Amino acid sequence: MAAKRKGWQKVALYVFVIFLCIVILYPYFVMFITALKDKSEMYAIDLILPEVWRWSNFAEIWDAAPVLQYFINSMLIAGGATILAILCGIPAAYALSRMKFKGKGIFMGAVIMSQMFSPVVLLVGIYKMMVNISLNNSILGLILLNAAFNQAFAIWLLRGTFVSISPEMEQAAKIDGCGTVKALIKVLLPVAAPGIITTLIFVFINSWNEYTIALTLISTDAFKPITVGINVFYGFNFIQWQYLFATSLCATIPVVVLFLLIEKHLVAGLTSGGVKG
Amino acid sequence: MSKKNKALSVVQPYIWLLPSVLLMVTMIVVPIISVFKISFSEVGRSGLIKGFNGIENYVEVFKQPAFWTTLRNTFVWTIAVVGLSTVIGFILAMVLNQEFFGRKIVRAVVIFPWATALVIQSVIWKYIVNADYGSLNVLLKKLGIIDSFVNWTGTAQSMFAWECWVGIFVTFPFVTFCVLSGLQGIDAALYESAAVDGAGFWSKLFKITLPLVRPSLTVSTVLNIIYVFNSFPIVWTISKGAPADQTHTLVTYLYKLSFTEGKSGQAAAVSVIGFVILAILASIYMIMSLRGEGED
Repeated sequence: MAAKRKGWQKVALYVFVIFLCIVILYPYFVMFITALKDKSEMYAIDLILPEVWRWSNFAEIWDAAPVLQYFINSMLIAGGATILAILCGIPAAYALSRMKFKGKGIFMGAVIMSQMFSPVVLLVGIYKMMVNISLNNSILGLILLNAAFNQAFAIWLLRGTFVSISPEMEQAAKIDGCGTVKALIKVLLPVAAPGIITTLIFVFINSWNEYTIALTLISTDAFKPITVGINVFYGFNFIQWQYLFATSLCATIPVVVLFLLIEKHLVAGLTSGGVKG
Repeated sequence: MSKKNKALSVVQPYIWLLPSVLLMVTMIVVPIISVFKISFSEVGRSGLIKGFNGIENYVEVFKQPAFWTTLRNTFVWTIAVVGLSTVIGFILAMVLNQEFFGRKIVRAVVIFPWATALVIQSVIWKYIVNADYGSLNVLLKKLGIIDSFVNWTGTAQSMFAWECWVGIFVTFPFVTFCVLSGLQGIDAALYESAAVDGAGFWSKLFKITLPLVRPSLTVSTVLNIIYVFNSFPIVWTISKGAPADQTHTLVTYLYKLSFTEGKSGQAAAVSVIGFVILAILASIYMIMSLRGEGED
């Protein structure tokens, strides 16, 4: 097919691809150049690029608002949720991929169904429950919720990974006297590492980017994650776009890089995890 | 000993599932029950449940014209965003499945919108389309395409159209990568033998490509229907339903009812209505795609 492709088709392909890249990158370009503008240039209506490149904006955000605190909170929330989601997800995925038992189909169905109940439609219930157990306005509460709402994906991806690995090695290890838990930790997990890392990063990114639950539950600056925290630059009358975008850029770049690392594994896992086995 | 082992092996799988089940039951199932209960209760402004009041909340919701606008918006939003994202994502996957110089870079670029927090993406677009100093106006004026600044979000319809655009922008990459993983599993020999038989582009597309990527498309479409239907940050960041509650979707509407107007009972009723619609949408799609598979 490639050999037969005519010249004009190649040109059309490049025109399409370049146009697409420009459209996709445009908002990031805007975010970047606006983050580097001076306050006085913000509302200048004939300026695309900044006249003075204010790299110092990136230094000023940390003093302008408790941005560092927001980043630490995001790390704690996303990190905690990831660890909890994996610790609960691995045994469940193991049972689903290696054991036969009654109710397996029902459990799998329930896991997929749980995806339909996104946190936002449950907010009224979540808010009430968290107030009842005094976990509203707390980082622990966000960790528990993010871990729970990412369970379905974690189990889905991990099970897909485990199913694709032959159980023979674990059986051999068990014959050599290993218990099930030891065989899982010593034999299966190292082989499954790529799939586990993919799952870890995916849950981390989802929790890092989460906005709605945090917006609803957290009212104290000290516990806000960065997605909610950036609102400080977004006053009623006065928006500090340069700081808003400088902070947003800092919150976005690490996540995009992480995502680039796992993209191949992730997509294969998402589309095949449930089909096999 | 063997009896004990047998008993253990029956119970064992459930022990392995226990942490996961506990987490999901406490954090997901309990709120689901609570939402249903609240939707049939009279709730004070402080959130205190005062008692069962039948379908009162639902009646109140149905009485408001804003609810019906919201419902219509939600359908437009879900169908437009999922539909267009699927078409764009599919075409892009076909393109990225070709060999060309710079393909890896384009793949990386397509990841960007998928990986970025929705709230950040929404804030940027809110800035871009701002009527007074937005960068789209500045850019188009510099390029000589417009003479004076355009008020891109002047009406409820144009505001909502921009929100749909942002929705599509963040949704199509997922479709692209799902379809791409399906395409890469197709044996090139199939296309070669089809070409020998004289099949053109369209017949290859409909006879080979579409049937073989259908499982990937089903996964991406079902998940997208659920996510887009439930998507909150875009509409909330860009318009908060303004002007005059004309641009809400169900989730932003219920958020406003509950957390700015203190009507938790009605908000819970909207949630339940949302579950029901979503369940119907998802099952219609599942049935249609299963039936399609049966015909092949």
